[in-house]
Amino acid sequence: MLIFSHWIIVFLLAPLFVGVIAKVKAFFAGKKGPSLFQPFFDLQRLFQKDSVYSRTTTWVFRAVPIICLAAVLLLALLVPLGPFKAPLQFTGDIFLAASILGLARFFMIIAALDTGYSFEGMGASREAFFSCLCEMILFMNFITLSLAQHSISLSSMIGGNLPLSWKLWGTVLILVVGSFFILILAENARIPIDDPDTHLELTMIHEVKILDHSGVDLGFLLYASAIKLFVFAGILIPIILPIEPVNKVMDMLIFLGGMLAVSIAVGIVESTTARLRLNRVNHLLLIAFALGFFGFVVKMWKG
Amino acid sequence: MEKYFQSSWHVPFGEFSLKFDPLSFIFLVAVIILILCAGIYAVGYMRPYASKRPVGLHIFFYLVLSLALIVIVLANNVILFLGAWEIMSVSAFFLVVFKDEESDVRRAGFLYLIASHCGTFLLIIMFFLMASNSGSMNFDIISHAPFPPVLAGVIFLLAIFGFGVKAGFIPLHIWLPHAHPAAPSHVSAVLSGVMIKMGIYGICRVLWMIGVLPDWCGYLLLIIGVLCGVMGVLYALGQHELKRLLAYHSIENIGIVALGLGVGLLGESHRMPFLAVLGFGGALLHVFNHAIFKGLLFLAAGAVIQKTHTGEMDRMGGMAKVMPLVSILFLIGALAICGLPLFNGFISEFIIYFGLFQGIFHLPLQGTFVCALGIIALALMGTLALACFSKVYGTVFLGEPRVPKGSQLGERISLWMCIPMIVLAGFCLWIGLFPRTAAGIAFLGGAFLSHADLLELPMDNIFSPLTCMIGGVVLFLALVLILTYLRVLFLKALPASVSETWRCGFSYVTPRMQYTSSSFARLILDFFKRILFYKRTFPQVKGFFPQSASMSSSVSDFFEEFLFKPVFGKLTNLSRKLDISRIRYTQMYLMYIFLYLIILLVWKLK
Repeated sequence: MLIFSHWIIVFLLAPLFVGVIAKVKAFFAGKKGPSLFQPFFDLQRLFQKDSVYSRTTTWVFRAVPIICLAAVLLLALLVPLGPFKAPLQFTGDIFLAASILGLARFFMIIAALDTGYSFEGMGASREAFFSCLCEMILFMNFITLSLAQHSISLSSMIGGNLPLSWKLWGTVLILVVGSFFILILAENARIPIDDPDTHLELTMIHEVKILDHSGVDLGFLLYASAIKLFVFAGILIPIILPIEPVNKVMDMLIFLGGMLAVSIAVGIVESTTARLRLNRVNHLLLIAFALGFFGFVVKMWKG
Repeated sequence: MEKYFQSSWHVPFGEFSLKFDPLSFIFLVAVIILILCAGIYAVGYMRPYASKRPVGLHIFFYLVLSLALIVIVLANNVILFLGAWEIMSVSAFFLVVFKDEESDVRRAGFLYLIASHCGTFLLIIMFFLMASNSGSMNFDIISHAPFPPVLAGVIFLLAIFGFGVKAGFIPLHIWLPHAHPAAPSHVSAVLSGVMIKMGIYGICRVLWMIGVLPDWCGYLLLIIGVLCGVMGVLYALGQHELKRLLAYHSIENIGIVALGLGVGLLGESHRMPFLAVLGFGGALLHVFNHAIFKGLLFLAAGAVIQKTHTGEMDRMGGMAKVMPLVSILFLIGALAICGLPLFNGFISEFIIYFGLFQGIFHLPLQGTFVCALGIIALALMGTLALACFSKVYGTVFLGEPRVPKGSQLGERISLWMCIPMIVLAGFCLWIGLFPRTAAGIAFLGGAFLSHADLLELPMDNIFSPLTCMIGGVVLFLALVLILTYLRVLFLKALPASVSETWRCGFSYVTPRMQYTSSSFARLILDFFKRILFYKRTFPQVKGFFPQSASMSSSVSDFFEEFLFKPVFGKLTNLSRKLDISRIRYTQMYLMYIFLYLIILLVWKLK
């Protein structure tokens, strides 16, 4: 039952989350902006369209949207969402999270190469490079958090009494949150690492990989990336805000408020910064890694 | 579960004593599975050579190698072990130089032979130190004798260097990327899958005999693991030749095994038997897994090479349409080697990760730092391997053929070649989805290696997460099925149309514009160019209508170019200078020997 409530939450709220970001960006640009529900309309439109496939492609190309969506749906089950505890939690579930994302990434890259054209190849190559750095950042933060909570289960690493220990390990947690926020931007192809809005640009990463997908396939991929962003934000919130299983309504409000805050933060970052030049992206990611590493060092130093 | 087999054997200090224990069991199973699969594959693979080359001789050495491998893992006596070790090394040399008319192949063979004997030289010293400590050549008796700490440290170092040559520890690996691609594919599978594992077996056997070591040994192995893993996969990324890439990947996997062994050693020296069993067990499982998936990958690569008559990845492309079965089998191997869920690599990497995290929690400060380094390195290796194999799969099997279509029609891939690959892929899937048996055996081996009692340890702490993990993976499969059904529902009313790839309005497109293996890896290699000595050369394009241009990129192996080549170059010069002292008469040499004998006699008379 818990599984389905989780999925319902991510299915309903994830596109909304993207809608909020778009709204914030529109606000900063001085525009009215599309409706909050525009992502839903987009998805509905895509699900009704038919697909076009390239002669070059094989089954890999068609399987990828399914694999990506399945991977993020599984990932969603590992993360607590407000009052709803993670349905799937066990010691070491962080490896399942990391490797299921890796599986999706592998198929994403080979599907891009499957189209047999240099644009998609470019995206694939960049994804492969930046994901190396992202994975290191992810594990660096996991190490620090696991040391703080003495557990390697995602739910207990980010939940429990962690927010209450801000007094004790404020420095560590600020470093972790900073590092993780950059990771969210990088993993989900947001500015300043990648631009989700432009198409046909030589500088993009994520969008150029899915250039050849259309119809239902593209819908699946867009849904998957929305859910991924939502779930990553869902990992960040319990580190900052205390969610204690006492009052369910209260928890839900805190969770939703936190999500809103993260989406607004992402929107503000996207509106106020420019996309980094491609050869500068790794510097930003290295900064995130350094933040994570200093978090670890401070944690070790304070004992 | 220890069994002995004794037989009389009239060799000084030697005895024909075989011993079967959990450690040898794991290696034995890996050896037998891979030898059989590669052997069956060879029936199909060698067919085109049947009338042109001495295939019989090749098969003879293959069988000798098989026998030597089996004797090595069972040997319970130093002399027997070293004898089988030499037979293995020499027969592998004859297998490598199958195409001996090519100078590259001959060079690779000799490089291998020299490296191998340098290693054996250290091994002889090591074993004699051990034997002199206990007064016997029997492994059992050696293991019962207590080792003084200094001697244990020296033996450990000798083992790391001596066996490390065979295992391919960086910087002793330089023979490996030359020898493995030079050999026929089934031989590469055996060399990479099990022969280099004999180095790991040797280290394990020595660790078992010495018992508890000081903790610097564990740290050393962990550092070696990190170095091998990261450098191995980076070098692999820089390769354009399929089998050479796979050979470098073996170094990475040996690094992962070394990480596991390092964790195990740390657990042993800090008296944490659970940690020791986790580390050793993870390492042993990875040894087995690597034998399976690397064997599969080399066999599949052999099939591709037989079809295309080239190993250059940048001249391939679109092979999935030409050979669909092989492409799926290669994909299984690729997913397994990247440690992705569903397949066996995931299980052993998970156990090693788990051990490293246990190390972070329970080891003293320096242990925490080194284990954290290990985790980060393992994460980096995982994604770099992912980049590497998505590159291989994408450029070899997907996209458009980069050469004209007619040139890809080599020999048909016979059933003899397909069945062994299917069996190996089946093993990958079996361990990936039902890991309990294999992991249980690996932990048994780990417990044997760390002299711990498995029943007293909280093994449920690792088995229950493993079960949950498999539950998650099965859920993922169910999700994939549901979503596939949903997609079919959505698409039912809408016929999917087939067209060209969207080229962004650009009309004159050729397959050569696709990303190649070199361009795909460029970003990563550029990032690491300081340690990889990554070079790209492209002449400046001149004039308004440039006619031809070329670009080449290469990664040079630091240890080969800047360590071994200068040192051995100096040694060669030195030996040239010593040439003067050589006397060109056999009679003179005989006289020297005679004089030497007289001196010995006189010395003995006194």
